[in-house]
Amino acid sequence: MSERIVKVCCGTGCLANGSKKVLEALRAEMEKRTIDIEVVPYVKATGCNGLCEKGPIIKIYPDDIAYYHVGLNDVQEIVEKTIVNGEAIEKLLYLDLKTKKRIRSHSEPDFIKKQTKIALRNIGEIDPHDIHDYLAVGGYQALKKVLNISGDDIISIIKKSGLRGRGGGGFPTGVKWETCQKIDRFPKYIICNGDEGDPGAFMDRSIMEGDPHSVLEGMIIASIALNSQNGYIYIRDEYGLALENMHRAIEQAKEFNYLGDNILGSEYCFDIEIVRGGGAFVCGESSALMASIEGKVGEPRAKYIRSAEYGLWGQPTVLNNVETWANVPVILEKGNEWFSKIGSPNNSGTKVFSLVGKVKNTGLVEVPMGITLQEMIFDIGGGIVGDKEFKAVQTGGPSGGCIPKELMHLPVDFDTLEAAGSMMGSGGVIVTDERTCMVEFARYYVAFLAEESCGKCVSCREGIRQILKILTDICAGKGQESDLDLLAVIFETVEKASLCGLGKSAPNPVKSTLRYFRDEYLEHIRDKRCRAGVCKDLTEFYIDESLCKGCGLCKKGCAVDAIDGSKKQPHSINQSKCIKCGNCIDICKFKAVKVR
Amino acid sequence: MESVTVIINGKECIAQKGEFLIDVAKRNGIGIPHLCHHESLRGLATCRICIVEAIENGKKRVVTSCVFPVMRDMVVETNTEEIKGMRRTLLSFLKAEAPENDQIELMIKTNGVGDYSRFAMNHGNDCIMCGLCVKACEELGCNAISTINRGITKEIATPYEEPSSECIGCGSCAYVCPTGCIKMEEGSGIRKIWGKEFKLLKCSECGHYIMSKEQYEHANQKLEIPAELICENCKKKLIAKKIVEIC
Repeated sequence: MSERIVKVCCGTGCLANGSKKVLEALRAEMEKRTIDIEVVPYVKATGCNGLCEKGPIIKIYPDDIAYYHVGLNDVQEIVEKTIVNGEAIEKLLYLDLKTKKRIRSHSEPDFIKKQTKIALRNIGEIDPHDIHDYLAVGGYQALKKVLNISGDDIISIIKKSGLRGRGGGGFPTGVKWETCQKIDRFPKYIICNGDEGDPGAFMDRSIMEGDPHSVLEGMIIASIALNSQNGYIYIRDEYGLALENMHRAIEQAKEFNYLGDNILGSEYCFDIEIVRGGGAFVCGESSALMASIEGKVGEPRAKYIRSAEYGLWGQPTVLNNVETWANVPVILEKGNEWFSKIGSPNNSGTKVFSLVGKVKNTGLVEVPMGITLQEMIFDIGGGIVGDKEFKAVQTGGPSGGCIPKELMHLPVDFDTLEAAGSMMGSGGVIVTDERTCMVEFARYYVAFLAEESCGKCVSCREGIRQILKILTDICAGKGQESDLDLLAVIFETVEKASLCGLGKSAPNPVKSTLRYFRDEYLEHIRDKRCRAGVCKDLTEFYIDESLCKGCGLCKKGCAVDAIDGSKKQPHSINQSKCIKCGNCIDICKFKAVKVR
Repeated sequence: MESVTVIINGKECIAQKGEFLIDVAKRNGIGIPHLCHHESLRGLATCRICIVEAIENGKKRVVTSCVFPVMRDMVVETNTEEIKGMRRTLLSFLKAEAPENDQIELMIKTNGVGDYSRFAMNHGNDCIMCGLCVKACEELGCNAISTINRGITKEIATPYEEPSSECIGCGSCAYVCPTGCIKMEEGSGIRKIWGKEFKLLKCSECGHYIMSKEQYEHANQKLEIPAELICENCKKKLIAKKIVEIC
């Protein structure tokens, strides 16, 4: 019998679902049973497996069995049946909703099968606490390789690979490095942006937690290309586990001389320091991030001179996002041709998305660029929860926009999303259904930006405040038709006169919803109606007697006892009591609850 | 220093490479409206009023002239319809932020204003968060005030909004404020600012109050030679007297 490995997902999602306890219980149970088991399996904590919603996830090799929603109660059975006898436990296997069949291997469900993992290649497989695990999967091989080639060659490979910044800007990474390399001014700095702040995005977090060494290796490679001796990783302070794992990885890399003086006996020296961010969204903007590292207030500066020339402490600086860094070692190892063949023209490689919202399979997915939105949401995501009607998908975080269902055939890449009025952003994908009010949805993002703008420019701070005021009015039924024209005037100034990307893209959520869902805005303004039943001042729920079966589910679920009706008789809503929470419409299985 | 040619509103202007656009324009008699720009306190670019249209290599874009360094030959238009329109919108934002402010009103008189009838008005405080006060304090080496919070809740304040031990009561912040919204009161030899009271020292010649004790000490420390306790007027008189003596 060969060695058995049990991998317990200890990514943030699974940890929140209790995977740490499962891990400990598994270890304890196996210790107790050493007599029955020929080879004691190695139980290992790994990073995020992506399918966060189905956690805790454990995988058993070489049997290739994956269990989902594992609870403490299951531990004994897993050890008894699977570890001792090699049998799979049916109820813990993945249930494919399309075929209604259970799937044994983690690589089989559509959610996993349709992905191509580059940045996430090791996450969920290796123990992020142990550098040996990273080395065992070929870690630091790219570093060894680049020690024997010139900086020009390294940059040429990155340039030819077509890698573009994964933080959202999509700027060609190789060009950025080259600009910085050409400037004959030292010291130069390398920065990793781990200040992920988009609501619903957690790809950078998962990489830092699950495969910290790949980020370090990417940065070390750049330091060799640019002859830089100092690097910084800026991590938002809320990411406790990412901070811990990155710290440990830096220590281990120093022990192995991948970091520090004379890396692997070469003349290169490079050190990395971690800086903890205070949780301001705007500090994800590169110049604000640099100001924050310098100990100043995190406000962006005008970037008429690029950071590659005038960055941290006025020195040439290369800043890339976590995911970009994680891509670098693989490209150096496998070559630019291999990388540029993945994805679509001018958008090579993959992109990690955090697929969230009203979709069945929520989690982290990495797909080749150019995959259609349809494939991502329906094949990988498994469609809409409760089989409600799909409405739109929001990409790019607060600076992105909404794309309606008519455009689901669009390929996901930097340029197409931008042309459609949205953006790639850092990769947040929020799926919405018929119960999402597009006006309120836009208002939510504007409210977020009103708080998270640094507040430096009048155009951004005040412009957003007035957009928010007008949207709030529209949601409360106090909108005027002329508001839509006024919004357009405000947008122009906010976009063109603001200093940084946050302001310049701030109108996007409203602009894109106005572009595709103008009817809904007009309905709010003219008819004082919110078709999604979200804006309370404009909503009245009622029960369609012809559809109501009198099941009583809504009545039971009503928090304020506003629903009357006897069993098997059509129910009705008492409007004077109703608080318009929408619970009844969400739980009705017969679509009998309607919005007036 | 390498020089470049900038054509501003049709006028050919010579600029040194790296010079800020607003300075090149000013030197050539072309005024660009602004609120947060001060010649000795650079780099804020917060009011956005000084936006202009810049055309480089056939590409048109809106830039902020107070922080835009001229690096190559270019064409600049400071008053296109588009720019004027955006300035009016910016002034409508400022009007909403400081509705009762005279300085903003004055600016509106010359530049016009966009429709602010639907805006949320922020009565009672004339601060437009330009940051000149913070910059002045920082340049003096005091750092007694800074911006706190962010977004629509941003404010200028001393740490924890308590009287700051760093404040020397020099009043530079109030002096540079374009909307005059920093409260500084003086009476019977006492100056009150940022919740702190300062004893004022008198001019050794005329006896007028001139500066706070802390300010005098700060200046002494910076200059490394004792500063004279003398007001600007008396200083001029003394110099004139000396010149007469020499002649």
